[in-house]
Amino acid sequence: MFEAGAAFVAWLGMSLIVLADGRRSLALGAALATAGVALVVFQGAGLIDAGALALGGAVMVVRRITDGPGGWQLMPPGSTPRLVLCIAAGLLALWIAFSVTTGAGAALRFAVMTVVGLGGARVLSSDERSVLLTSVGLLALAIAAIAGMGDAWQGPWPYVAAALVAAGAGWLPVRAPNAA
Amino acid sequence: MLPESAELVLFAAFVLAFAFVFAPAAAPRRSLLLRGGAGLAGTITIVAVPTFELVLLTLLTLGVLNAAADGKQPFALRLRAPVLAVAVFALGLVLARAAGPEVLDRFAAVGLVAGLAAGIGLLPYLHPFDPDDAVTGSPIAWMAFIGPALAVVVAGTRGLVPAEAGGVLGAMLIGVGLLNVAWGGVAAWLTESTVAAWRYSFMADWGLALCGFGLMVVDGRRAALLVLFSIVLCRLPLYLASPQSLRARTVTERPVNLVVAAALAGSAPFAGFAARVLLLRGATQLFWPLGLVLALGMLLWLPGSLRLGRSLGVPRGRQALGVALVLALNVAVGLYPLPLLEAARL
Repeated sequence: MFEAGAAFVAWLGMSLIVLADGRRSLALGAALATAGVALVVFQGAGLIDAGALALGGAVMVVRRITDGPGGWQLMPPGSTPRLVLCIAAGLLALWIAFSVTTGAGAALRFAVMTVVGLGGARVLSSDERSVLLTSVGLLALAIAAIAGMGDAWQGPWPYVAAALVAAGAGWLPVRAPNAA
Repeated sequence: MLPESAELVLFAAFVLAFAFVFAPAAAPRRSLLLRGGAGLAGTITIVAVPTFELVLLTLLTLGVLNAAADGKQPFALRLRAPVLAVAVFALGLVLARAAGPEVLDRFAAVGLVAGLAAGIGLLPYLHPFDPDDAVTGSPIAWMAFIGPALAVVVAGTRGLVPAEAGGVLGAMLIGVGLLNVAWGGVAAWLTESTVAAWRYSFMADWGLALCGFGLMVVDGRRAALLVLFSIVLCRLPLYLASPQSLRARTVTERPVNLVVAAALAGSAPFAGFAARVLLLRGATQLFWPLGLVLALGMLLWLPGSLRLGRSLGVPRGRQALGVALVLALNVAVGLYPLPLLEAARL
């Protein structure tokens, strides 16, 4: 039940990132998604692995609070397709994770699929640097969480590497396109 | 690390050194060294890390860094293809690791093939391309530098999906490969821009490599390795040696242009020929009509290669030396590919 709740928090955070453009919303979404993924990982992998993800996500959130378009900008006009995407992606992931696939770790599957699916969709549909880098950071955290689905323990490296990617992505200087 | 992967890292290092020494004088050496070095480090990481999750994280990092570097396309546009590749790979990996009905494994195979196509920049997920982009930032360099290591690693993860879905994976690789052979071959011949023609010719070569990986017989793997060799150590250095400025482009028909065209077309005695023979042998072992289709597809290399060979102009000075070195290396591997294949344990 705890795992399912954490997975729902991850979906909620990703939905916030999909539905908002302002830095406050993005930071809150990133914090929720990070917390959700880290809590699900904590149940399966352990404190160090989950802690690494949480730390990487926390650095990303701090950067997001200080950088990007101001305010909340939650559900600006024309957001209906984004809302439909969040609900449809959540239902599809729920169906696959809890019904189509079997065995333990359904919450982890749900969390990973929603973060990867919604994060990927957000990158494909946005031009704003802060949105893109937030999505990339969360995508990295979700990829590391997949390590918990394998039969063999892979050590903390995927989690540490993902934390570094998530923490570093927000600080990346992006050059303007050189049209000349 | 797979032995094939180690060979590809060596190829990449060699081509980087080649580019540094033999690229036209106008090419920015510092950018070449910095970005090429970063690409080489990424390639080494991709083949050296022990888990597929770390491969995906490396690919994501490389994609973000490449998109953030200066170029003529916006950051958002350049970021889309690598992120799509990583996302599709990740979803495929989730399905491969989950227990459930057999159809899940097939969807996992779809994820791996779609991720590979998007990661390299092949049809149906072509990376955004501007003929005026610098070589170091162009999708051509990505396709020829990062792509081979990624393909070998993904081909090595075939064990992720069960044997039944492995057949599906192979069939999809062959299907995507044939699509790229046909599209790349025709487009390299008919497209207006010469730089775009080079890009399509890389795509066509990649089509052959994917067919080789999909064949699931040892001759297919051998052919794929030789195609990758000819991409990294024939087509890429010849592209780098060609005049990069559109204004500097001249069309000449000297003997050297015909020899270069023959090397690009994969005719005897160059490495591409050995790759094609192995590919046809592997295809006929599996399903002979596939060999027929591949043979017909290989004819598409002729007009495009003649065009690209002519676009090289007349190489002079150190460029001529570089072109001669590349041709000699490709003749050597074409005539006696065994050491290369044995080093890869194929």
